[in-house]
Formats: sequence, structure tokens, C-alpha cells
Amino acid sequence: MCELTKQGLVAAAVCSMPFEKLGRTQAKVLGVPDLPLLMIPHPLGGITLDVVATRADVAAGQLVKLIREKFA
Amino acid sequence: MSGFASELTLKGAAIEAVDDFQSVNDLYLARGWSDGLPIVPPSAERVEQMLAYCDRPWDEPVAKIPPRWGEATPIRIAANAVMAGCLPEYFPLILLAIETMCEESFNLYGIQATTHQCAPLIVVNGPVARELDINAGHNAFGPGWRSNATIGRAIRLALLNIGGATPGTGDMSTFGSPGKYSFCIAENEAASPWEPLHVERGYPLEASTVSVFSAEGPHNVNDHESTSGKGILKMIANTVAITGTNLVTLPGGDPLILFGPEHAATVAGDGYSKMDVKRYLYEATQVPFNRFSDEYIERRMKVLYPERWAADGLDARAPMAGSPEEFVVIVAGGSGKHSAFIPTFGHTPGVTRALRRRDGSYARSVRDFLKA
Repeated sequence: MCELTKQGLVAAAVCSMPFEKLGRTQAKVLGVPDLPLLMIPHPLGGITLDVVATRADVAAGQLVKLIREKFA
Repeated sequence: MSGFASELTLKGAAIEAVDDFQSVNDLYLARGWSDGLPIVPPSAERVEQMLAYCDRPWDEPVAKIPPRWGEATPIRIAANAVMAGCLPEYFPLILLAIETMCEESFNLYGIQATTHQCAPLIVVNGPVARELDINAGHNAFGPGWRSNATIGRAIRLALLNIGGATPGTGDMSTFGSPGKYSFCIAENEAASPWEPLHVERGYPLEASTVSVFSAEGPHNVNDHESTSGKGILKMIANTVAITGTNLVTLPGGDPLILFGPEHAATVAGDGYSKMDVKRYLYEATQVPFNRFSDEYIERRMKVLYPERWAADGLDARAPMAGSPEEFVVIVAGGSGKHSAFIPTFGHTPGVTRALRRRDGSYARSVRDFLKA
């Protein structure tokens, strides 16, 4: 995602809550400290497909907002 | 102050602290620069002494350590080796181990940051293992041996301080592992009836090597009753064939089987070569699908192995490795009717590299690295 951002594309990483610090650290050390993280609840494993869909909804809302802001 | 110390100060590469053991330790613990245990203060003089066994430029990175991708220069690694309590003679092995585990194929980023409990295990082979008195015998994974304890600790401190494997931030392991304090042994080549690991991996017997594996802690295999190689192998295989390892769904992970010398002698005495052992284990460790939960079968096993599922249903079996060759067979430990299984991260083959002099020849001794 950092490389895509450097190439001028709109990019973001999906990240569950306990991994936010790791995600922010990675974005920083990979040269894109303001890389958007689409934050979703944990966990990702051991959940039903219905719950996966709710996770996707949470991320999708943030993604739409991000794209609108970039092209406003 | 030595010239070296002046250089560090001029570059802003050093910090000043009260010259007192407690004060330095308080400072390091407060800044998160320790594994939680007291450290030896890495004074410029001590770091310079450590670098006596380094034939590389001291400030040129030999690797970048994830997840922070910090530059692992000999100076930084030497500081961590001092902190761990290493003798300077250990330094060439530590440098090689860091370089080896930072090769892309080892996936150190995943190993450092994963929720799994794996840690890089260092296995040393060859004459340098004996020169440095790295324990391969009784209690090889345990305390009481300076080389094992401090070489492993130096590597862990480098993974923490240079690599940023801070718990909860860079290291997301659910449990962690005692192997994240120190995890270094030598193969017990003298007690092995088979060729040692480094020879199997293409190096000459006189070479000294470091092998790194993404290892869980060792799980014991107690077998005081089997008197045949077949019996011992069956007991080991049934200890390996479990549902909860990464290996069972991520083959390609080089599962380690550590034969105690007594078990190894019995197995080899019945005519099993190392390759025979691997072939047996590959077949006998496959886990029947019916041991997994219904959800696990539905969501993972059917997806991973659709052809096996279609052919055999609940009787289908999942392998612990992609091929027999992936099983790593090592002889280690002392007397006793025990062996050990070390599961790994999966999908992460171990890497073996030799200690070499700058001209590319194999180092025969750590003295080869002494500065001229």
C-alpha cells in the first residue's frame, strides 16, 4: 500500500484495532506516515461469514469517505 | 576516552549516562531497550572490544531488521551483544545469524510480528560450535551455559532494539515464548549416527554454519519402552501428528525433529538413514481430517485439499510438510530416552549459511575474524 501511495494512487490498509500501532509504525518506516488505515474490530479469525460482512461494511464506509476526500 | 568512543560521541551515536550499573539499567529499562532482564552497560570501550572480532566496516549495515527495518550495523549489533553478556569471540556467529535470518526467504517480518509464538531458533554446526563451547548435550535448551545463553540473548536484543519487536507494537504474539529470551543450541554431531545438518545442506564437514528456524518451543517425546527404530519412529510420529500446529495447514515450514542420542542410535542401528526417517515421518505424521472440528474442515481443510476431501472425505489426511525432505532431523541433547518435536511458523523454510572469511573461504576458527 505504501508503494502504491508513492506512485500516486489512493491506497489504504485494512487493520484491526489491536494492530493499529503496528500498522502506523509500518506506514512510518515504509515512508508513508499518513497512510490511511481502515480500522475494523478484532478478530478476523473464528468469525462467521455474517460477521465478516459487517467488518467489510465498516471498512467500506471508511474507504468511500477516503476516496471522496481525495477527489473532492 | 578511546578514539572509538570519541567517534561515537561526535556522530551523536552514543548517549551519556551515569557510570553506574543500576543507573544505566534503570535508563535502559525506562526506554524499552532491554528484554526485561538487567543488561551489561554497553560502554564505548566494551563495544569496541566486541568489535575486535569483526572484519567488516563497523558502520555499514549487514541487514535491515523488521518490523522497524532498523539498520543492523556491526556497531549496533555489538552493543546488543555487550548488553547480553557475550564474549567478543561470539560476535562472528551473532553477525552471521542476524544476516541469515534477514534473508527474504526466511520471512523475518512475519516471524517478528505474527500472533503465532515462533522465534528464530539458532542451530550451530561445525568446528566453531565446539570452539565456542556451544552446548549440544544435556540441557542444551536450558540455562547454565554462557555461549548458548548470551548468543541467543544478543540476537533477541537486536531483534527488539534494532528490529522494533516490541510486545504489543512490533511483536503481536498472543503468548510469546521462553525462546524469545534466548534460543541457541549446537547439533550434537559427536553423538549423531547420521551426517550433520550442515553437510546435509551442502556444506563441507569442516565448515561452520548457522541455521535459523521459525521455531516453537520443543515438545518432548518420552519413549523408554520401544527397543526398535520402528517403535521409536511411531512414537515420534504420533507426537507430531496434531491438529493445532501451523504446519498442518502451511506446509513448507521445515518441522524439526530432535533425536536424543539414545533414540538416534536405536533408529540408525535398525538401518534407518536420515532420508528413511524423513520418508517415514512424512507418511506417518499426516493428520486425518476427522480429528479437526466441523468448522475447521469446512472452512480450511476442504479448501486446502479439495482433491483429498473428494476422494476420502473424513478419512483424508493432511501432511505436516510439503515433502519428506522438509523434515529437519537433528541429533541433540544428552543421555536419556527422549526426543523432541519443534513445530514452526509454517511456509517458512529454515536457512543455513556458513561462516566465511572476506575472501569467501570457510572460516576454520573465530580467530579468522580478528582484526589485523
